[in-house]
Amino acid sequence: MKKILNSLKGLLLALVVAFGVGCAANSSEGKSGSDNSAELLDLIMTRASVRHYTDQPVEKEKVDLLLRAGMASPTGRNLQPWAFVVVDDSELIAEIAEESSILGRAPLGIVVCGDMSKQPDDPEHHYWIMDCSAATENILLAAHALDLGAVWLTLYPMERKLEKFREFLSLPDHLVPLSLISIGYPTGPAEVKDKWNPDNVFYNSWKE
Amino acid sequence: MKKVTSILNVLLVATALVCGSAAAATAQASENEALEVIMTRTSVREYTDQVVEKEKVENILRAAMSAPTAYNRQPWFFMVVDEREVLDELAGVINPVLGRTGLGIVVCGDMSKLPEEGDFAREYWIQDCSAAAENALLAAHAQDLGAVWVTIYPQAPRIASTREILSLPEHIVPLNIISVGYPAAPAEPKDKWNPENIRYNSWE
Repeated sequence: MKKILNSLKGLLLALVVAFGVGCAANSSEGKSGSDNSAELLDLIMTRASVRHYTDQPVEKEKVDLLLRAGMASPTGRNLQPWAFVVVDDSELIAEIAEESSILGRAPLGIVVCGDMSKQPDDPEHHYWIMDCSAATENILLAAHALDLGAVWLTLYPMERKLEKFREFLSLPDHLVPLSLISIGYPTGPAEVKDKWNPDNVFYNSWKE
Repeated sequence: MKKVTSILNVLLVATALVCGSAAAATAQASENEALEVIMTRTSVREYTDQVVEKEKVENILRAAMSAPTAYNRQPWFFMVVDEREVLDELAGVINPVLGRTGLGIVVCGDMSKLPEEGDFAREYWIQDCSAAAENALLAAHAQDLGAVWVTIYPQAPRIASTREILSLPEHIVPLNIISVGYPAAPAEPKDKWNPENIRYNSWE
């Protein structure tokens, strides 16, 4: 019995060592390396709005990664009050383009919606706009990371857009479209805006 | 002795499990390190005493100001809080996590950069500043820091207390505080992937 226990423990140890090595490898090529830090910071700083696309369709695996990035963002009280409608039907894209012309040039759109059925009754704790905005930003960054170009087209709080998009996508009442992300392969390099401005920062107290 | 061994065994198994699921979660995006940072970011609420370097703070602010804004209005302002007393004061009225961190970044909307009240476009500041906040969280994670989004807006009492503590003028509205520090322990990201949240071309 003791022998069995011992060999079991040996096996466990081996497993842990194997996983440990795996984890260490993961994190050294992952989040702890300075290379990685530079790569993500660079990605954030070089993202730009891309409004012109080639005809190349966006691969299914990439669409999946974009959606995964969207759902990796934080949400208030972890309620995840969101829904994503992927638009890749060319007839629907043409229809939507009459309202949001940029999408007419793109092979892919993602509409990020807030799900009101996942919000508490007290409006002081409605965080869906923030949650879905963070998700939208994650999708924009993921697109840039995957060599795609994208632009955030606002829908909420424009009543007209909300009505139109409810109609385009047959959305039920509890879903409110926040943003339409137009995505495709860029026709050329995008111009990055330098928005760094140290005048936007104070330390510890407002200075007059 | 036997007790110690069995505790050790439980620990070993737990370690293996944690590492295993982390590996699975990141496998998908592992070929792309920037994507991996997005997928592995998680809320970190416990920190060591290590002070966050000035360059890292600036990188976080640069990342935040790289977010897109409607009509490119950049309607934001950032209050960096690194004084103990101020953080403790905020901890008392906003969230205890601020009592455990040495650095808080308050992401604010600047109403003076927006159209007049009544214009729907005034509301975009919430989306703009939320995108900036997400960039800040990612920049923290990319630099081996841990961070968490502490909500202020739209809770009126929290907005009022933050305004008072930081002497913010009327046109500056605090959206959230990002609490940042070196993580006290490795944090496991939540797996929020859910295909039921997705439809193609029509919800029906």
